[in-house]
This record gives sequence, structure tokens and C-alpha cells, in this order.
Amino acid sequence: MTIDRGKVWIVVPAYNEGSIIRNVISDVRSEGYRIVVIDDGSADDTGKHAFAAGAAVVRHPINLGQGAGLQTGIEYALSRGADYVVTFDADGQHRAREIARILRTMVTAKTDFVLGSRFLGATTNMPLRRRLLLRAATAFTRFTTGMKITDAHNGLRAMTQRGAKTIHLRQNRMAHASEILHQIANSKLPYVEAPVTIDYTDYSLAKGQKISNSVGILIDLFARRLHR
Amino acid sequence: MIAQLLLTVLLCVVLLYAWYSYRLSPIVGMLTVAAGLAGLYFVWLPSHATSLAAWSGIGRGVDLILYTWVAISLILLLNLHLKLRAQMEVITRLARAVALNGARSPAQDDRAAP
Repeated sequence: MTIDRGKVWIVVPAYNEGSIIRNVISDVRSEGYRIVVIDDGSADDTGKHAFAAGAAVVRHPINLGQGAGLQTGIEYALSRGADYVVTFDADGQHRAREIARILRTMVTAKTDFVLGSRFLGATTNMPLRRRLLLRAATAFTRFTTGMKITDAHNGLRAMTQRGAKTIHLRQNRMAHASEILHQIANSKLPYVEAPVTIDYTDYSLAKGQKISNSVGILIDLFARRLHR
Repeated sequence: MIAQLLLTVLLCVVLLYAWYSYRLSPIVGMLTVAAGLAGLYFVWLPSHATSLAAWSGIGRGVDLILYTWVAISLILLLNLHLKLRAQMEVITRLARAVALNGARSPAQDDRAAP
């Protein structure tokens, strides 16, 4: 079975990524996918650059966070009749040509979710501190969800339409990465991991997670369990 | 007696609020019920505060009341935090609806839309 790339929507949440978003979109567009950029209330020209590069643009009137951006993008993609939804980071650390491999995995494994894993694949210039932080986050997620995964915070994921309809992110900020895994586990739909490559640059490292953020993520996850 | 009646009315209001809070956050509702019932207990049996304080190692009954008050304050702070989160979810849904309503798509995507 082959996948019609015109029915694949790439969801890219972006906040103040004006300097790099054109390149990211060009790479994805050159692979033949449709792409929606969620401009999360950027103060720069992220939305303008994204639209000029050929992406659909949905602009949050205020900055809400990456999790909110992903949920907006998923809802937009579903409203446009997407058969497959792929989440993709805006900071240039993913490789667009790996999307095809992930989608192939989805078809051959007959699964509803494919989760990218840098620890099954490769990384370039990954600092030791980041590696340790990700390992700790993965151990925590394995413990809380029971999912046998190797990379809990990878922004490159693919889902079928059926899978995307089970995702309802309520964690606006960075805790969404754990929340999405909880929702996948609760959906009982099949998932697999696939190797991907993450290219760390000074730019992506500056925009990425800090160790201090992990405390906030834990508070968000805990608080979410206290109310309906 | 007047003070006891007044405090009883106030604590009953707290219990009503706990019942209301339970819908948003069961844990806050239950903690508030516990605090309210403890308050009623000590209002009508103040001598038990001292013996309970002595039994739990706090010493004076007044210190037990003080610590209980601190605990109630923390529950209220938690409740406020949860309410702010709930409001943020409402704002998010509103902002998302506005954003999706104003989405811009390239011409070829418009042709592909169902």
C-alpha cells in the first residue's frame, strides 16, 4: 500500500522561528506533503515567512505553548481531511526525508502511531546534559505509562486519522510530550517507535528544553491529575 | 455560644463550597470537607484541640489550630491554581477557535479541501 502524500499533513508549531521557518517548510514541501504552521503568537514574522514558503498558517492570537499549537494543528489537519498527521519541530532539528520512512513503518507495522526515537536512530552534536535529561524523562514516562519506549520527548511523530482523533492535548506547555504518550497508551491503539536523526545546532539547543523546565513539567503533570 | 454559632454558620458555608469545588477537583473538595469538619469539631469541643495537640506532639491546642489554618491556606492556594488552569483551558479553546477561523491556506490546499 502506498501513501498519497497529498493526504499527509505535517503539523509544525512555531514560536519566533522567523529566521529558520522558511528552510524547514521548503524541505518538507519538497517531499510533497501538505504543511500547516501554527504561529503561536510570534512577535516576529514567522507566520509571514511560513505562508510565503507555501504552508497553511494558523495564528494563535496569543502565545499558548507548543502543546496548544500541536492540538490546533491536529484539529486543522483533520478538518482538511488528513489521512495521516505528522508532528514536526520548527527549529530544524528533524530531517524531512525521514517522514517517508516513518509513514512506511506505519503502513507495514499496521499501527496508528509511530514515535520517532533518536536513541534508536542517531543524533549529531547532542550534549551529554541533554542526553541525561532525556534518559531521565524517558524512564519517568515508561514508569507512569507502562509504554516500552526509548525516547519520550521526540517531536517527530506520525499518526493515522483514527489515532489523531484520540488526541486531545490539554497541556499547553512542554508537558504535552508526556500527555500525548499517556493518551496514546489510553487509546489502546497500536504504536511503534522508529529510528530518526536529530541534528542539534546552537539554534535548536538555545530553543530546547532546559533542566529547570523539567520541574515545571512535573508540576503541570501533577496539577492536571487534580482537576477535571 | 454566639461565637460558636457564628463559626458554625461560616464552616457550613465552607462545606457548601467544598461540595461545589468537588465537581472541579475532587481532591480539593475532599480536603476542604476534612478541614471544615475538623473546624466544626474544634468549635464545639475546644478542649479536644489541646488533648489532640498533646497526643500528636504539637503541644498547645492553639498551635494545632494555627497549623490547621496554614494547611487550609495551602488548600486554598492549590484551589486557586487549579481554577487558573481551568480558565487557561477556556482561553485556549477560545484562542484556538479564533485561530482556526482565521486560518490562511495556499491555493492548492484550498482545492484539496473536502
